[in-house]
Amino acid sequence: MLEGLRTASAGMLAQQQKMDAVANDLANANTNGYKRQRVGFSDLLYERGGRPTTSDDAQLGTGARIVHNGRYFEQGNLQNTGDPMNVGIEGEGFLKVKLSDGRQALTRDGDLHIDGQGRIVTSFGGFVEPKITIPNNVQPSQISIGQDGTVTAAGKNVGKLTLVNVRSPQNLESVGDNAFVTTASSGNAVAAPAATNIKQGALESSNTDISVAMTDMIEAQRTYQLTSKAIQTADQMMEIANGVKR
Amino acid sequence: MLAEQLRQDQIANDLSNSSTSGYKAERTTQQSFGKLLLTNSVTGASVGSQSTGVQVTNTVTDWTPQAIKDTGEPLDMAINGDGFFAVQTDDGVRYTRNGEFQSDEQGNLVTAMGDPVLGRNNQPVKIGADGKVDPRNLNVVLLNNPEKVGDNYITGTPGAVAGQTAGTARAGALEGSGANANQAMVDMIESMRAYEAGQKVIHTIDETLGKAASSVGSLSS
Repeated sequence: MLEGLRTASAGMLAQQQKMDAVANDLANANTNGYKRQRVGFSDLLYERGGRPTTSDDAQLGTGARIVHNGRYFEQGNLQNTGDPMNVGIEGEGFLKVKLSDGRQALTRDGDLHIDGQGRIVTSFGGFVEPKITIPNNVQPSQISIGQDGTVTAAGKNVGKLTLVNVRSPQNLESVGDNAFVTTASSGNAVAAPAATNIKQGALESSNTDISVAMTDMIEAQRTYQLTSKAIQTADQMMEIANGVKR
Repeated sequence: MLAEQLRQDQIANDLSNSSTSGYKAERTTQQSFGKLLLTNSVTGASVGSQSTGVQVTNTVTDWTPQAIKDTGEPLDMAINGDGFFAVQTDDGVRYTRNGEFQSDEQGNLVTAMGDPVLGRNNQPVKIGADGKVDPRNLNVVLLNNPEKVGDNYITGTPGAVAGQTAGTARAGALEGSGANANQAMVDMIESMRAYEAGQKVIHTIDETLGKAASSVGSLSS
């Protein structure tokens, strides 16, 4: 009987974690370049027989748990902003950047700016890698960024935004600020496929689909509720067992 | 009553997994214990048989394919029809209908547990340069005596199964869970009431024995 209680509570916990992931997706529905989380479920070990009234052919599951499968890297919509320092990535790949703590990272957030010393920085204060400096007298409107990432300031080539990709983007580690770092299982950063383009004056919006997130949320909540009924019933049955001795 | 407890535990597991892709619902089958043949101890005449209770003999998994829902993720796979994906684990080849796959650092298609998915040539499946896998390369295996072992894995003996043809894999979709919430609720109520009835029987037997202990031999009516 107590097994049933634990089985059901494992199921409830899994739904709760799913809800946390959906809540995070929804909170980032307007974050540039955000990729929604990919979570699934898995059953737990099976117990075989081992009870007084059970033959060895009977097997009993022990609940469910959540499985984090990285993220959905499907393309988000590109939105025109008109800002020459905004770049949207079309296709697979990431911008290579350096975080403020010196680590190399990848991002799809193309909301770039120019800092006081003319350097191109990301929205979270890191630099694009390799560093690109815009000469002092150049106005932002004179900057053009080509499809391959070449940055031209007032007709002069000043550098190139580097596009990279990894073998297994699902295994990238999120470090916040819209950035990812490579891990042993994601593979090292290599050049992005030639089909990937940079579009100047656009930003990639979050790929959170609000309608999907809402249905996921309702589903998680209902399953949570249903599973809690199993706990209630187990409790009632224990009460009945208690009533055997009056 | 003990048998009903087990049934209840199993329903709790079904409900817990009602969002698990490729999960298959279970049923318990019950059977009465061996019967005792009663005989009159004086005359030796047979009185009849009496059952001594109920036991759970088996849990049956309902392997019917479930509805497939589109996810758009290229590495999500679902099997349209019967059969299982073959997976190479540390404990040997295991099978699964949960197609939530990802890629590892070598570019192989792996399960959420990190075990490579096997293709038609029994070798791990490579993910193409475009990040996709041709679902036709995946091996869909029919299993005799499939049995769950947890982590969405299943064991069994591969081979032809009467009345089944291997289904086809489809990318960008997942199979839903086989747990049926309505059925589970009804089963849960039914099981609880049967449990309650068991308790009443114990009470009644207790009363009868109580009567026997206190009233037999008593002169007052």
